[in-house]
Amino acid sequence: MSNWIARGLRSGILTTKYPHAPDAMSQRYRARPLIVPGATAAGLARGAAVCLSNAIEVDGSRATIDMLRCFQCGECARVAPDAFSFTSDFELALTEENVESARDRLRRRTAALGRSVHVRHVDCGSDGSCEQELQAIFNPFYDVNRLGIFMTASPRHADVLIATGVVTHAMVEPLRRVYEAMPAPKVVIALGSAACSGTIFQTEDVAGPVERFVPVDVKVPGTPPAPLTIVHALWVALGRVAARPAGGSE
Amino acid sequence: MIAGTTAFEAAQSAARQVSGGARFVWLFCDVVGEERRLHYVTELGGKLSFSSGVVPPSLQASSIAAAVPAARWYEQEALSRFGVAFNGVADHPPIIKSPELDAEKLRRALGDEVSTVLYGPIRSGVVESACWIIETAGEDFVAVHPSMFFKHRGLEKRFEGTALELAPFVAEHVSGVTPSSHATAFCCAVEAARDIEVPPRARAARTLLIELERVHQHLDSLAKLADDGSLSVGSAQTFAAKERVHRFLADATGHRFGRGSICVGGTRSDVLATLQSAAERSLDLVERETFAVLDGLFGTQSLLDRLIGTGRLTKPIVHAYGGVGPVARGSGILNDVRVTDGWIHAPAAPETDGDAMARARVREAEIRQSFELIRRALDAPDGPHRAERLNARARGSAYARVEAPQGELLYFVRYEDALARVAVRPASFANWPLFVPSLPGNIFTDFSFIEHSFGLVQSETDR
Repeated sequence: MSNWIARGLRSGILTTKYPHAPDAMSQRYRARPLIVPGATAAGLARGAAVCLSNAIEVDGSRATIDMLRCFQCGECARVAPDAFSFTSDFELALTEENVESARDRLRRRTAALGRSVHVRHVDCGSDGSCEQELQAIFNPFYDVNRLGIFMTASPRHADVLIATGVVTHAMVEPLRRVYEAMPAPKVVIALGSAACSGTIFQTEDVAGPVERFVPVDVKVPGTPPAPLTIVHALWVALGRVAARPAGGSE
Repeated sequence: MIAGTTAFEAAQSAARQVSGGARFVWLFCDVVGEERRLHYVTELGGKLSFSSGVVPPSLQASSIAAAVPAARWYEQEALSRFGVAFNGVADHPPIIKSPELDAEKLRRALGDEVSTVLYGPIRSGVVESACWIIETAGEDFVAVHPSMFFKHRGLEKRFEGTALELAPFVAEHVSGVTPSSHATAFCCAVEAARDIEVPPRARAARTLLIELERVHQHLDSLAKLADDGSLSVGSAQTFAAKERVHRFLADATGHRFGRGSICVGGTRSDVLATLQSAAERSLDLVERETFAVLDGLFGTQSLLDRLIGTGRLTKPIVHAYGGVGPVARGSGILNDVRVTDGWIHAPAAPETDGDAMARARVREAEIRQSFELIRRALDAPDGPHRAERLNARARGSAYARVEAPQGELLYFVRYEDALARVAVRPASFANWPLFVPSLPGNIFTDFSFIEHSFGLVQSETDR
């Protein structure tokens, strides 16, 4: 017979202290694409030419990267290392300024709930990896129950809606109905670059990014976003930490 | 393949192969100019046979689903995506998502005792979207009709016209949890069409990435089974072991699922070198923790009792529906592409009872076998990580297959200057039809055990 309790005690505490204390991912992990200072027009053009989701816009020797379109394949940095590089900075969540008031309301409400919030997830058309990474935030390394974050089966009990994947035609109505069933105030997180922008998907085959169908408060780039990125995004959604405003990075 | 063959002759030829003991593998449609062409694939003794033929302008084709049940889903897909009408196929309940589920028809067919429950497409927990129409009388399953393809994203079409250098990224979107299996299968098809010789070092790197996928996906299945059995600590520890595999991959490849590593002709960078250095740092730990949870899970009788006898599939049923991977091996059908490819001598199949227990045992044995393959692949010789010549050719087509964690995965690639048609036969697509006969005789609370013992990916099914 297995003694799980003894086994659990032997393995010690695995859980990160993040977001209360900093944490880091492998230096090699490709989270955020950056433009190398002093990049030449030729290098920028070379990188932009291999971007399958058109995340890079080049204007001569200036370029912008739309993080929401990036699916982190790393090809730009591979073919043009003089122009593009990646950092392992996993805090990728972005918000629009105008959701500040909604987050304030949720912050006040969650304070009244003893800081616990319930999350409902909807898969709108993901590649399956966003689900496994979302599941991973409950594993012992991240254990977001310690932060008062729980999944709920019913949208009527949910404070936060996490939508993954580009929205397919068949998922438009289910997504809308879940959103409408949730009590106000509610926060919507579009999880993953495909949910935020549709990345590589062609407009005639899918319905579009999540924000076309329900109002989105927090956009989380990544294909898929790492568990630490998701924990950060939830912290942003709950108004506990500021996010970067949405828009391209220079 | 004989030019001028009709789709009818191709179908009859495939049906003959199956009646002679072959396994039905695949049927898909390709549009060349004005012509719709049906391709049938069967397998006998590890060897694939192909027959293809042209659909007449009436778009009428003959269904072989009555004799070959495994053909049914493919025929329905060809109908809904390419308008090819198979006589007789409309009598089966639809599997492709339609806006209105025909509840009225179901209700008429059922007596007062049986009620119909819609389960999905949004279900509790963090799961991919799919729907089951469950007919039940109390707590027993009477019948279950899958309604899938909510997540259809037009990915086969997305390949068309995409540059060969970037097309493996599209393959990685078909299943985000097994991207290296998909990218490898796609690249192998292109390499077969162009006679590209992949260097041994690149082949070793691909093997490593696919075996690591097998480890984390099998751990995912086992962790979910432990959770279904209310074994909270065991589930948490199994998910922790899975997390260690993802951290290993992030450290070695820059991505937690190993994406962006594989390209036509080999690997994009010398990923074997970074896998080797990551292995020196942490592979022992990953392996030790994985084996520890396997010992724990299979030493916990309260969990095993829930798996034994649950969701049983007999060998003839698995053969009839064309099952692959751990689902087939759990029922004694020992197909494994890796044997044909010479990666392994024999598939790991310690139990062949066909129940959830057998499938879990197959996963356990495969995880242990994967670590052996990983160790062996780490010893790969020095040398180039990519073929020097990519043999540009104006046109060609080829098949390739890979043993993905869910089972045999096939790609068909046809190009004319650019990619003209890419067809994918995911292991999950081949296995979902078996979910239907695995449920009757079980009760409601068995559903998640059976589902997780199958361990399938919805996104690759829907594509």
